[in-house]
Amino acid sequence: MISASDEQLINELGLRRRHRWSLYDHPNLIRAASILFFLVVWEIYGRETDPILFTYPTAVVEAFFKLLATGELLRQAAVSLGALAAGFGLSLVLGVGLGLAMGRSRLAEAIFEPHVNALYATPQVALTPLLMMWLGLGFAVKVAVVFLFAFFPILINTASGAKNVSASIVEVGRAYQASRRQIMFKIVFPAALPFIMAGVRIAVGRGLVGMIVAELFTAITGLGAMLSLYGNIFETAKMFVVIIVLAGLGIGLIHATQMLERKMARWKESERAVS
Amino acid sequence: MALNVLEERALAELDLSHERPFRLADHLSSVRAASAVVVLLLWEIFGRQINPLFLSYPSAIARALLQLLNAGEIQRQAMGSLQVFAVGLSGALVLGIIVGLLMGRYRLAEYLLDPYVYALDATPRVALIPLLLLWFGLGTSSKIAIVFLSGLFPVLMNTFSGVRTVSAHLVDTGRAYGAREGQIFTKIILPAALPFIMAGIRLAVGRALIGIITAEMFTAVTGMGALLVRYSSALATDKFFVPVIFLALLGVGLSSAVEKLQKRLAPWKETERAL
Repeated sequence: MISASDEQLINELGLRRRHRWSLYDHPNLIRAASILFFLVVWEIYGRETDPILFTYPTAVVEAFFKLLATGELLRQAAVSLGALAAGFGLSLVLGVGLGLAMGRSRLAEAIFEPHVNALYATPQVALTPLLMMWLGLGFAVKVAVVFLFAFFPILINTASGAKNVSASIVEVGRAYQASRRQIMFKIVFPAALPFIMAGVRIAVGRGLVGMIVAELFTAITGLGAMLSLYGNIFETAKMFVVIIVLAGLGIGLIHATQMLERKMARWKESERAVS
Repeated sequence: MALNVLEERALAELDLSHERPFRLADHLSSVRAASAVVVLLLWEIFGRQINPLFLSYPSAIARALLQLLNAGEIQRQAMGSLQVFAVGLSGALVLGIIVGLLMGRYRLAEYLLDPYVYALDATPRVALIPLLLLWFGLGTSSKIAIVFLSGLFPVLMNTFSGVRTVSAHLVDTGRAYGAREGQIFTKIILPAALPFIMAGIRLAVGRALIGIITAEMFTAVTGMGALLVRYSSALATDKFFVPVIFLALLGVGLSSAVEKLQKRLAPWKETERAL
């Protein structure tokens, strides 16, 4: 710690070293230069290649505004987001519910564990064709696929969160005559919340993947369908628009959950890696 | 708490030991087994009554498994899938570790590359599949590219954050003893970051498996993913479940193999990052 008098002394003695300007103090400058360089190279190189296979930034921007103007992009995005929200909501409700039950009751855990483990081990993409067979190509199949992708991270994190709630807190609650419901909602749930939120963060990304996979395969409506359509008719610039929108969606959703996580579960940071 | 002799005797006289009533919670492993058996039985009974086009049943799936094994179909397609998987994943591991090390050690590399790395990491990789198919066709190279992209980012991000957490003291000590940059890399940074890298590899293996399945489902020419699509569009539900089960087992086998490797290579620290 340098006190005020020390500062004065340093100044008087002329000991303060002038901080040399360093590029490393301005990381955003380097980042901006890097992006600019990339875009310029892409633009120059992209204009020379076959527009069927490749495109360039200005063409992508142009395509973006065109798609925005026709309302195509917003309409399909709304469809996609609807399916994402429905599937994710469903997996949130069921995942947290079943997770709390499995975390609190060893009996429930023993009953559900073999099936949860088996289904969790199965790569969920592999089940998509079966779901399409059962549910057709409409809205329902998208919701089901999103649900399947997002359900397990939430379930597994909630269960391990509820299991890790300190027994002494629960005992104190019981000693003060808390009912089962109060123990669940006033003790176990808040204590497990950081785990649940970590699961939610993983699940959001997975849900988005599920949505895209479902739409790519059904290829009728939604952003994934646009992607596959433009791929088939070699509209590369429009394809890039959709990819960039999806990337933005991914970044936005992850940031939103991180903020929510910090807000809702400030008291503890723990997570479990779910691959 | 140890009891003294008098207390022991008092306890014996009081005879507090009484038969515990039967509780299901005392027989959790039987509950677990019973739960699995009941579900399989119900599946068998109901599955036989449902139109076989929509749902199969366990014994039919077992029969289909034997049939496909005898025909050599499963082995042939699995070999194809695994080769692509191995090539793509090794590429991802090599490049991911190298770029992660560079980005973690040199700030210039970090600032130059991190906009792209973060953006691509947040982009759902499935969204890139149509583009990669456009560029690389329906053959092996597009599958390799998809597996590569799926596996790259978990390794890269984990290596990067692993290098970032290497204590500066270790590096300073090394430098004080005259270690060259190469030695600092191989003798200090790499071992210190290894637990992170291994955790990244574990995530990457799972992601790459999903990548190969999705890629093969799309191209639908060869491999396990192609089998999934072929059998589901032929409504051969019993055969459909064979690759599903194979992929689930493959996933479990691979992740436990990596876990073992992780314990052997980096037993000194357990850290991972959830992605």
